[in-house]
Amino acid sequence: MTVPALHLQGIAKRFGPTQALDGVDLRVERGSIHGLVGENGAGKSTLIKVLAGIYRADSGTLTVDGQSFADLNPHQVEALGVHFIHQERLLPPGFTVGEALFFGHELRRGPFIRRRAQDREAARLLREYFDLEFPPGALVRELDSAQRQVLQITRALLARPKILVFDEPSVSLVKREVDQLLAIIRRLRDQGLTIVYISHYLQEIESLCDQVTVLRNGRAVAVVDPRTTSIAHIARLMVNREVGEMYTKPVVTPGEVVLELKGLGAGLAYRDINLSLRRGQVLGLTGLVGSGAKELLRSLFGLLQPEAGSVHLQGRITRLTSSRDAVRKGIALVPEERCSHGVAPQLSVLENLTLAGLSRFSRWGLLNAAAEARESDQLIAELGIKTAGRDAAVQQLSGGNQQKVALGKWLGRDCKVYLLDEPSVGIDIGAKVEIYRLIGRLAQQGAAVLVLSSDLPELIGITDRIVVMHRGTVAGEFDARQVDSDHLLACATGAREIPDPSLESEREPDYASV
Amino acid sequence: MPASEILAQPLFRRLGLLLLRRGSLLGFVAILAVFAVSAPNFLSPGNIANVFAQSAILGILAFGLTCVVIGGGSNVVSGGLDLSLAANLGLCAAVYSSLNNAGLQGWESIGLTLLCGLAVGALNGITVVVLRLPPLLATLASMNLIAGLELVLTHNSVLPTDSALLDILANGEWLQVPVLAWVLLVVALLLGLLIQHSPYGLRLYAVGEYPEAARAAGLGVGRYVFSSYLIAGLCAATAAFCSSAYFSGSTTGSGELLLSVVAIAFLGGVFSRRLVANIPGTLLATLLLGFLINGFQLLNIASFWVNGVQGVLILLVVAMSSALRKEEGGL
Repeated sequence: MTVPALHLQGIAKRFGPTQALDGVDLRVERGSIHGLVGENGAGKSTLIKVLAGIYRADSGTLTVDGQSFADLNPHQVEALGVHFIHQERLLPPGFTVGEALFFGHELRRGPFIRRRAQDREAARLLREYFDLEFPPGALVRELDSAQRQVLQITRALLARPKILVFDEPSVSLVKREVDQLLAIIRRLRDQGLTIVYISHYLQEIESLCDQVTVLRNGRAVAVVDPRTTSIAHIARLMVNREVGEMYTKPVVTPGEVVLELKGLGAGLAYRDINLSLRRGQVLGLTGLVGSGAKELLRSLFGLLQPEAGSVHLQGRITRLTSSRDAVRKGIALVPEERCSHGVAPQLSVLENLTLAGLSRFSRWGLLNAAAEARESDQLIAELGIKTAGRDAAVQQLSGGNQQKVALGKWLGRDCKVYLLDEPSVGIDIGAKVEIYRLIGRLAQQGAAVLVLSSDLPELIGITDRIVVMHRGTVAGEFDARQVDSDHLLACATGAREIPDPSLESEREPDYASV
Repeated sequence: MPASEILAQPLFRRLGLLLLRRGSLLGFVAILAVFAVSAPNFLSPGNIANVFAQSAILGILAFGLTCVVIGGGSNVVSGGLDLSLAANLGLCAAVYSSLNNAGLQGWESIGLTLLCGLAVGALNGITVVVLRLPPLLATLASMNLIAGLELVLTHNSVLPTDSALLDILANGEWLQVPVLAWVLLVVALLLGLLIQHSPYGLRLYAVGEYPEAARAAGLGVGRYVFSSYLIAGLCAATAAFCSSAYFSGSTTGSGELLLSVVAIAFLGGVFSRRLVANIPGTLLATLLLGFLINGFQLLNIASFWVNGVQGVLILLVVAMSSALRKEEGGL
């Protein structure tokens, strides 16, 4: 057997209570394209950061070209000829193409930069490698994301790498650009480069890769050949199967439509989105990074202005100009970054719980401390928030309890619509169950709840309907009781675009009967 | 913030960019034209050379600030800033005058003065790079520290002094152009070559504009930022010689230069396609302000109007360029 170009063995990495990587093996043969797939949170990016020398593995070895290391720093990794193309484009926006390509390794005459030579050389390299012409004198900020991606790849190629690692390179690209990128990557392989390609778009993986390692829950569960293994099978391997009895969903009869989106679109992020959300209904929204689901939610938070279509709140056309505006119109927002947006970490539990509804506790500008204390004690008890007392700072609480505070502050306010962004990320099972119960209670009280989550079993467990987005459009809409994770994931990865036929006929009676 | 909301519109944004780029140059030309018509002798070679010479102190300080802004990023609040430049000039001038009066050799006092400027730069570099204080606060603190040291040295009085160097700087002429004007142009040329045409300059821009990208390219971000404060310190010492020559010794009140220096460095960014601080732009901005002051003097307009104009310029330039940049960041 030949020596592999890259071999990671038994890599483990732990962050606090989370075992991000649990003995992962990755073997990449020389001159091949090796795919690495997994759901969000399966450990792909942690593994790459270990390989890049950004994280230090708790245990395991890295072998590059037959040389073994326990850990590496970024400089060593580079010296070994391993280069990375990151998802974000690390190029200064104000630089010209020539400057961005060569900074750090400038072409010079004596002490001075040869700007013209750099521009010429940049044009030559781009033509030679990629058959591309950029407008002369263009600045990085004037290029589109595919062009920046190409520039980034060219920059990496200047260093004559042996192994190129692409970390979700196609996320912000449109279809045509993706095809171009895949052609470029194939050409690089044919020139003898070894390539690691990380993506959750299974179609790309299938058409590109020679071998695929599937990660799930921090373990490498399978190494398959995509030419003999179907996408559906790979998708099944990716899905988290550890579904417990932790999901609760009360039966609620949906009422009238509260929130409706008609033909909503925003630039490249998403387009032509039609959605309706009824009273008492829990709607799931999912999609992989780059699907536009996150951006859609940001629009409903009032953070991203849609450019086309309309938002109807209780039948009236509404423009959400800011998150303050959204809150004023009766929309409760629970963002994913709890610490920066959801709660004020240095304020007390009481202050956080009453912050969203201060007007209810104040008279003539003064706060009624007794009423505040009563209300927050009640909420702490109801939600089971584990805290030393209502005056403890929220940052002392665990993630799950912080999330309960973030949710709890909206409870007293009678909101019509709740928008939850990844409500259960980073919290333990026990707290998850209580969050799910809370969501169920909101629906019972007649609120409309929209949950964005990439945890598919969770969505199936706690929602009524699930909308799946793929590359900016709604790829499918499913009844949560009749769909499984494989289906959802296949839809989200673009493996199959199946608007469930059973759903179309059943949806209307569904509301009537439940 | 209504201004930024208006600028967020593409059309207004484009108009704003146009106004900022072309408008600033047009404004410059218009001001020159107005003074040329209304002020006697404004365009005479002697007056122009005079403006160049009078701009030397401000200009050299502003070059230093320009380097710091390039290396720290042009965000006014969190980016690179050196508020201690003017105070550093005061201290260096006081040090030079004291050493010179104490009877040291010419080259000794010159060398020690340059070292003093460098030391202040190094202090700023340490607080910003090692202690990670925001430059705005770090250099505000060092400004007060340095101003205090200057007071200790001078007892808040003028230290008159005289030396061959100061004599040449103050009275020398070459090709009928005062030596101070040559100093300004030579410093501009040297720093222009270093910042706009050497790998060091390009990397400094990369560090300021996108530190993560610079780090990914293997550049030591901290070292570049530190070096920009050293350059600023050297500029302050160089300007101190000019100031000592101009006033025949160290004077009090050097801190009043600060507003003009900040105005010039940020105004300088407007004279570039990319709206970033740069040495030629700073030179233009220095001369713009120099001609403005000169024209006001020729027309007998009270000099405090100049302060008002400077303040308005700072507000306009900083508000417009940050609004435009915010829009670009969002794309």
